[in-house]
Amino acid sequence: MTFDFRIFSIMLAFIAFALAPAAVAQNRLGNTELNVPATLVAESPKVRAGQSVTLAFVMEPKPTWHGYWENPGDAGIGMSFDWTLPAGVTAGKPQFPVPDTLLISGIMNYVYKGDYAILVTLDLADNVRPGSLPISVKSEWLSCTDEICVPEQDELSITLQVVGKDAPVSLDKRFNDFRAAMARPLGSEATFAVSDDRFRLSVPLPASVEIDDPYFFIKQDGIVDYGAPQKFSRDGDRLILETGARGDELDSITGILKIGDHIGFLLTATKGEVAMTGLPLANDGAKQEGSASLLFLALGGALLGGLLLNLMPCVFPILSLKAMSLAKAGGSEAVVRRDALAYTAGVVLVATALGAILLGLRASGAAVGWAFQLQDPRIIFVLLALVTAIGLNLAGLFELPNLNFGNKLTRKDGAAGSFWTGALAAFVATPCTGPFMAAALGATIVLPPIAALVIFAGLGVGLALPFLLIAFVPAIRSRLPKPGPWLDGFRKAMAVPMFLTAIGLIWLLGRQIGTDALGLSLIFLLTVALILWWFGGGQIKGLSRGALTSAAMVVAILGGILALPGEDAMNSQKLANVSAATLPSETFSETRLSELRASGQPVFAYFTADWCLTCKANEAAAIQRTETADAFAAAKVTVMVGDWTRPDPDISKFLEKHGRAGVPLYLYYAPGKEPVILPQILTVATLTDLVNGPVQSAMIAKTR
Amino acid sequence: MPNLPSLAVATFAVFALASPLAATQKNGTLAQDFKLTDVNGKTVQLSQFRGKTVVLEWHNPGCPFVSKHYSSGNMQATQKAARQQGAIWLTINSGAEGKQGHMTGPEAKALIAKQKIQSTNYLLDAKGLVGKAYGAKTTPHMYIIDGSGTLVYQGGIDDKPTANTADIKDARNHVLAALSEIKSGEKVSVAQARPYGCSVKYAS
Repeated sequence: MTFDFRIFSIMLAFIAFALAPAAVAQNRLGNTELNVPATLVAESPKVRAGQSVTLAFVMEPKPTWHGYWENPGDAGIGMSFDWTLPAGVTAGKPQFPVPDTLLISGIMNYVYKGDYAILVTLDLADNVRPGSLPISVKSEWLSCTDEICVPEQDELSITLQVVGKDAPVSLDKRFNDFRAAMARPLGSEATFAVSDDRFRLSVPLPASVEIDDPYFFIKQDGIVDYGAPQKFSRDGDRLILETGARGDELDSITGILKIGDHIGFLLTATKGEVAMTGLPLANDGAKQEGSASLLFLALGGALLGGLLLNLMPCVFPILSLKAMSLAKAGGSEAVVRRDALAYTAGVVLVATALGAILLGLRASGAAVGWAFQLQDPRIIFVLLALVTAIGLNLAGLFELPNLNFGNKLTRKDGAAGSFWTGALAAFVATPCTGPFMAAALGATIVLPPIAALVIFAGLGVGLALPFLLIAFVPAIRSRLPKPGPWLDGFRKAMAVPMFLTAIGLIWLLGRQIGTDALGLSLIFLLTVALILWWFGGGQIKGLSRGALTSAAMVVAILGGILALPGEDAMNSQKLANVSAATLPSETFSETRLSELRASGQPVFAYFTADWCLTCKANEAAAIQRTETADAFAAAKVTVMVGDWTRPDPDISKFLEKHGRAGVPLYLYYAPGKEPVILPQILTVATLTDLVNGPVQSAMIAKTR
Repeated sequence: MPNLPSLAVATFAVFALASPLAATQKNGTLAQDFKLTDVNGKTVQLSQFRGKTVVLEWHNPGCPFVSKHYSSGNMQATQKAARQQGAIWLTINSGAEGKQGHMTGPEAKALIAKQKIQSTNYLLDAKGLVGKAYGAKTTPHMYIIDGSGTLVYQGGIDDKPTANTADIKDARNHVLAALSEIKSGEKVSVAQARPYGCSVKYAS
């Protein structure tokens, strides 16, 4: 390769540039010669004494060029600001939007590729005189492409007008977008730890917050190895990061946690203990490798979980008897294996099918979890009838029809019987999966659908594993107790866990449909039992009442389903459950607030976001409580909620006005009085005392 | 001649295999040994300087931050001072072919003559193997290895991370400070500082 003289000329140009600062100062606002030109704009050219105004450095990189965040990463330089301000004017810290990563040959850069704006707030003292207010700032920044870098600088200026208190001030709408690109304060403190060259960060973030390709941008240098891949995992309401460390010199760090395109949270972390727990998130850098290992881990979990399910009260009776029957068939190896395989097929198919439905529902946007089938009272009722029938069967009231068919129709139906036993086991077992399977099933949400289905199948295989072992390892089979008269007693005893399951389902059903409807459902359940009793009586007498029984059963179960209360009734039941602990509220708006204030109504306004753990904790512990709701209702307090989950310029401004950069913010407006800012950690007493008189004045004094 | 550098690189690769690419070198540990070819085709090995202090400087003539220190004469003065106290100064160019700042031997020789670069050897590392083994991120990025072969400093040339020559006079030159501390047998007080400048233009 020959030496590139263009590069040399850039270099020479720079030398000239650097050696002649006087000439450089000739550059004017929005210099188009620059690769990343900057323009200084004010949110309002008119300002009032004693107030503040936000300025923006609007940076517009030319195609292929980028500018840098305040911490540039491995290479590059942040931006500098050298202000020349009139007396009485002070400039705040520059606020940078959420940056992007740019990794070139292992060197990490924290950059902005498209247009971006840096915001600075100017505060005006009360004594600033009306008239023109010249503001100027000399800034230096580095502009780079993936190949070359050019340090750029400009002297930017703007002249503001100081106006009287009553003069109208109009705001530049673009600033709403500029603010939306900023990271918002998370509100809760994070914890970090450095050991063995690993940096770990634990961030309080509600489990429900969606995260896409997260990244932590640290502001301080020397702690994190910027180029190292960042591995994230979620453990309930915590997001945990692990990456390479560089040093251990600081006790407190700050940074931006990015969780999506231009969505980021400003956080502070103090040194503490951080354990790498929870479920790993697949990250871009380590996606391939991460997914594969996650898949194996989750598959192992699913297998183990499925195996444990065999011990569940709702599953064990079915399975232990199945195992006995397998042992009974002892003579023919082939029959045993075929039955075991048929059983496995039933279990795996149903587990996978349930998984597929779950994934399908999730994809369609419904918020469903594993055991979703138990959220529908119709399915619960069918299950209840089924479990009761199995219990009665075990207790000896009647014989299972498939055994009948098995006798009649030889081996083929024996396999079919095994298949359906497996299907039933998987279906009944799902509600028991929760505690054992939470992590493994959680993984199915972050894995691609095919891999997720593999995990559901793994669960099925785990559930079927004991049978496969019994069938394919004769040594185990020979160790099973020999069938004998004791088996009949054992079978009857197994009816007890089955009925326990039925009681559990009745409780669940009652919670969903209320006690009145439950009573009716239980009458249909009794009908089912009576039909089975009659069927069993026929079996004893040698009569086949199968067809009639099946028909009667279908009628009884359908009747039970139809008798279930309609959707509306159920919704009102749910509402009744919820409203007991809910504070009626309306959406926050400043206009509505001033209306209410004008009409002399007390108002409690709170600002929250789904990603704010402190907010959610306060809501659960203090706001959404019956005591609070009653006290507020008695005092006719109007409750207003401002949701800042997505950036909302009106709420942002309102928060700013109250000296807050973020949520939570709790305000109480007593009629005719100045608002009271409540503490960040609320208790029921804090809220009820507001409307119960005497403590109120003390509160005002404290918060001022 | 054109094959010589790649031969040297191959030799280096044998050393480098022991530690993965993009590894960083830790202060207080033995600095990774390497072999590179200089602008005159001469093979230079780090371990041959055992007993002497060695300064490594990552270089890219197209980088404005490098220019800041060469156009002002600051880097040459630092090189001269280092050599006067008996230290070895190795300037390393890890710019890949086709990337900014890459130079062939003759091109580098011309630049050395023009800018009066005072380093002991100017080494070519177009494959970036030595640069990555040292975790060199920026140009300039400085490393100091003491007589026992131990890494005692890594970071920027000084504490004013700008491209403005006017900032040099008020800056603390970390390399000169460390060299004088090493000379008087003291511990290097600032052993790690933020490197600043352009990114090293590696091949991949």
